[in-house]
Amino acid sequence: MSFIEDADVGTTLPELVKVPTAVQLFRYSAVTWNAHRIHLEPDYARKEGHPDILVQAHLHGAFLAQLVTDWAGPRARLVKFGWSNRGRAVPGDTLTCSGRVTAKSGDTVALELLEINQRGETCAQGSATVRLPSRGDKS
Amino acid sequence: MTDTERTEYLGEVRALDFQRYAVAVGDMNPIYFDDAAARAAGYPGIVAPPNFLTSIIEWGLGPLENEMREDGNHGNAIAEKLIGMKPEDLEGLRMMGGGNEIAFGDPVRPGDAVTLTRRFVETYERPSRMGKLVFIVHENTYTNQHGRMLAVVRETNIGAR
Repeated sequence: MSFIEDADVGTTLPELVKVPTAVQLFRYSAVTWNAHRIHLEPDYARKEGHPDILVQAHLHGAFLAQLVTDWAGPRARLVKFGWSNRGRAVPGDTLTCSGRVTAKSGDTVALELLEINQRGETCAQGSATVRLPSRGDKS
Repeated sequence: MTDTERTEYLGEVRALDFQRYAVAVGDMNPIYFDDAAARAAGYPGIVAPPNFLTSIIEWGLGPLENEMREDGNHGNAIAEKLIGMKPEDLEGLRMMGGGNEIAFGDPVRPGDAVTLTRRFVETYERPSRMGKLVFIVHENTYTNQHGRMLAVVRETNIGAR
């Protein structure tokens, strides 16, 4: 859990590392009722020019959202969150999510977020605005 | 004239659905699973993960298999989702998600009955390593049964030729 008193411009978030599997992609597609074959069938994904089945765009976003909420803690409130998909990822890739405070105003911080693969290539980049609790708040 | 805005009732949020979502992501934050933990964090009870609402492709039954495009997307994707686009402009495109910019309103809770208004914003093209890319942008507003805003999302979908 993070407090506003401890967050300053330049503060970095603890990294979140994800290694998606085919099972994870299957379950993410199932729960979002996504039948898009590039996430299900390796042969079909290759036919569209991809190396393997692709990590869903929203799953990249979910990893970056988790990076933020893990750091901020349950009493923080996400005001805004966004990401854009910049590169593909496939099962077995090691995706490292990192973030940094870029601005602070009152009880609110702005974050920049990045997800890279094991080759250092950007898969997604994002930003968030988060209201953090204060050490002086009654819990 | 193509419709550029449409409002539809999506359905009711169930705890099990967003909890399975969290399990699929690998995000076991207690505020999604444990009412006491959520109350300690200032919520009335468990809440959905922040990007749960906007990640659901289909809230209802979805298309039958014979109503799908070859790629598994809805054959009537324009009417269902990509409103404001012309069918011929989507022909043969390989579709990918491009990202979201989400502004959050009230927390999403079990039993919330969700309505979505989709509004077409713009479409534009850019060259890339994958060939010409078509960007399709919508602004989607999710509200609950009390008329409270849950999220406003600027959603980008990308099609590759």
